[in-house]
Amino acid sequence: MRLRVFAVSLFCLVAANAGAQTSKAQAGKSPEVRIDYTQETLPNGLNVIYHVDHSTPVAAVLLWYNVGSKVEQPGHTGFAHLFEHMMFQGSKNVGKNQHFALLEAAGGRGGSDINGTTNWDRTNYFEQVPSNQVELALWLEADRMGTLLDAMDQTKLDNQREVVKNERRQSVDNQPYGTWLEKMGEALFPEGHPYHHSVIGSMTDLSAASLTDVETFFKTYYAPNNAVLVVAGDIDVPQVKQMVRKYFGSIPRGPKVPALANMSVPVVIGHQQRYVITDQQAPAPAIYVGYRVPAATDRRAAAVTLLGDIIGSGRSSRLYDALVRRQQIATNVSGFNLNLSSGADELIFIATGKPGANADSLEVAMMAELAGASSFTQAELERARATERFGFVNGLQTTGGFGGRADRLAEGWTFFHDPNHVNKVLAEYDRVSLDDLNALARERLLPTNRAVLIYVPAKKTASADTRIQ
Amino acid sequence: MHSAPRMKIVALSLAIGAAAANAQTQAPPAPGPLRPYVFPQVNQFQLANGLKVIVVEKHNLPEIEGRLIIDAGAQREPAEKNGLASLTGRLLSEGTADLSGAEIARQMDALGAQYQTGGGYSTSFADVVALKNVFPQAMQLAAKTVMSPSFPVNEFTRVKNQAIAAYQQFHARTNGLASDAFVRAAFDSTAPFSRPPNGTMASINALTREDVVNWQRTMYAPSASTLLLVGDITPAEARSVAQQAFGSWSGTRVAAGPVVNPVHASSGTRVILVDRPGSVQSTIIVGQPGFQATDPEYIPMLALNHVFGGAVSSRLNSNLREKHGYTYGAFSGLDLRPGAGVFQMSSDVRTNATDSALVEAIAEYKRLGSETVPAPELQGLVNNLVSGFPNAVQSVQGLTGRIQNLIIWGLPLDFYTTYRERLAAVTPEDVRRVAGSKLTPNNLVVVVAGDLSKIEAPIRARNLGTVEVWDSNGNKLR
Repeated sequence: MRLRVFAVSLFCLVAANAGAQTSKAQAGKSPEVRIDYTQETLPNGLNVIYHVDHSTPVAAVLLWYNVGSKVEQPGHTGFAHLFEHMMFQGSKNVGKNQHFALLEAAGGRGGSDINGTTNWDRTNYFEQVPSNQVELALWLEADRMGTLLDAMDQTKLDNQREVVKNERRQSVDNQPYGTWLEKMGEALFPEGHPYHHSVIGSMTDLSAASLTDVETFFKTYYAPNNAVLVVAGDIDVPQVKQMVRKYFGSIPRGPKVPALANMSVPVVIGHQQRYVITDQQAPAPAIYVGYRVPAATDRRAAAVTLLGDIIGSGRSSRLYDALVRRQQIATNVSGFNLNLSSGADELIFIATGKPGANADSLEVAMMAELAGASSFTQAELERARATERFGFVNGLQTTGGFGGRADRLAEGWTFFHDPNHVNKVLAEYDRVSLDDLNALARERLLPTNRAVLIYVPAKKTASADTRIQ
Repeated sequence: MHSAPRMKIVALSLAIGAAAANAQTQAPPAPGPLRPYVFPQVNQFQLANGLKVIVVEKHNLPEIEGRLIIDAGAQREPAEKNGLASLTGRLLSEGTADLSGAEIARQMDALGAQYQTGGGYSTSFADVVALKNVFPQAMQLAAKTVMSPSFPVNEFTRVKNQAIAAYQQFHARTNGLASDAFVRAAFDSTAPFSRPPNGTMASINALTREDVVNWQRTMYAPSASTLLLVGDITPAEARSVAQQAFGSWSGTRVAAGPVVNPVHASSGTRVILVDRPGSVQSTIIVGQPGFQATDPEYIPMLALNHVFGGAVSSRLNSNLREKHGYTYGAFSGLDLRPGAGVFQMSSDVRTNATDSALVEAIAEYKRLGSETVPAPELQGLVNNLVSGFPNAVQSVQGLTGRIQNLIIWGLPLDFYTTYRERLAAVTPEDVRRVAGSKLTPNNLVVVVAGDLSKIEAPIRARNLGTVEVWDSNGNKLR
């Protein structure tokens, strides 16, 4: 049996050879995925990708600006993200709060359809709307790309500075284990490296951010030649091309974007790192281990992800089997990479102790498992591949918004200069061999190439209501 | 204020911008013609053993979700066995007569299937999402774990400890402390809704393997279950998959009646404080119990919620975040359950603004009943729900969740065929009416979890209502 071939040829997905085969054979094949697109570059340098899918009356507009926290200079940590907040505060033709008000009234759901996100490498802005509202989304994106500074003022900056400080409190300072991501970057990348500091930034640096910073950052990075625009979904391409020209065509090209600092780091860190953190809010100990691994643009990136899956992701992973199921010293484990694009990436393993567990015993057990992480089996590799295959297709269900097809196309252009990258992802996973995995583990999963963060509850005995019998 | 020199620079840039740009501001472009959207057909049939099967087709990707829901949620467990439905649900995937938990995990992962089992307030569930080519096998394996779990002794102990750990982790966070306290305060202590659906430390600790075995044996039955099959599957394929997976399931169960959830009788607003020393933010919840999806006013209540805090541009977020900078976000929602529900707002606010944020949230609550919503404001927010609906059901998970809610809440399966039209017809007068008849702004439940050494005195000084301080288990301390 062949699964259906899509009549809508621009977005085509075929799963080959299902039917009468054994379960192993069925699970062992990647579906053929093809997301078709057309691409053009406007005279002002704006790259535009169009992807058509008429299956539901939804359209997505998405912009990736090639700027993230890695461009921040000392004393300005957190600024790329704070700036992203300022992009929602209105522009020449759009009042404060009007960006969300207009788009929500048009049918975009704030948060999941309408949002902006900042990470180490890029900042994105997206709108997933009913397809008859695609022009509104394009107009709003163009207005802030062209005229943000016309509507900027100190009150807006002070307000969003408070909002971002609250975001930091909510995700970092008020959470058990909340500081791990920040501490891991500081440990795995040397002082001065663009990935050394966190995306959310420090409270001190957020306090110091000024309107001058906003203006300089906008003029340096927010120009059509430093962005890729994706318009996807239930669209008429000739009509949308006219809209794109009308709204974005007159925005002037910006100056050449300053070169990044040197991102490269030695393959291996070269010394052991172990940090003990006393956590006032943690109810149980937890161990966070991070390794320096090849970056997301490296040809070994797929192997990095599969390595994380095999060791720490899901209930058939090695850490789950050893620490949670057999030794019963941990209650949760996970394994994943951050997907950092240049220089190096972080591969993270987490084990959260069971109530009352001894942090030292948890650490010993976890280190023993990581020390033995080699000699992977074909079955382990196939499970990890099947997981990634499913996750990839599952993520293509939405047109835009968080993730979705538009985001994949923009990622391909920004990191690989190849929107067609999306159509090669599954093949990258298929190509990884056991030898690749074992070689990667031997080269990178070394005590001298990692940082170990040990979170120890401040309250040694749990309060009366949380004591186990 | 403290940065006059910076202001000067910006003033300069504004002048340049104004000179260069066209002085006339543009209006946003008008929408194009609306493209039609039709909610997919919902088909249903029944197997000979009484299992109801509901099929929703969505063929644009080779992906299918299969979700079995069993009328065996925490609402039906005895108070002293609080957490039993959840623990039993979690244990399903940990062993059958011929497969260990580890082997089940390996087989599911080899298929690339996402498999989750558990128990919530209303139902217990087993949920599989997988690519189409492996879906029948994944569903069959899942069915086996539901029909003939073995509950191995070692896995029972382990998963019980995991449940205790999850409880502790939840209560280590202000939102966990606050949300548990909220339902305890809102409902009478005899109401199942007043208890945390996963149980408390004490109640989970007291559960035995025998409790779990008995619960599965007496409560799990095809006649008390519904299988949702959503995605790239035809009704004919669905019939075959359902029959293969669940056709051999036997067993009957006495039909269970509706669950009663009396609300806590009180006059006047109660303010419940729960201490979490060292918190740099507090979680605040303001709301009331007693609303169901089957209420004829459900649609206007949805509109009212959206005016209050259902969207980013709603009043709560505009006030607490965009105007005052108290929070990263403030939202409201209807948490609907069969026989009961709550309407509530919540937000994590910085510690020294906790009392001010409460005052603003309560003022917005009262304004819903004291002022008629301006028509343009209502129209925009209602249209957010109406026009945003197709976005929300692009994924099989989005579709499955919405169909499941209809079943749990007791709404008809064709609810979504007229949902958008009925929402679009809501008027400002409807919202005013429903605010008057459903909201009790002078009889609210207010819960705050945070650092009481910093927030208790300022909150008491606001005179919001009767103040009580609770421990994390709902015991009144003072």
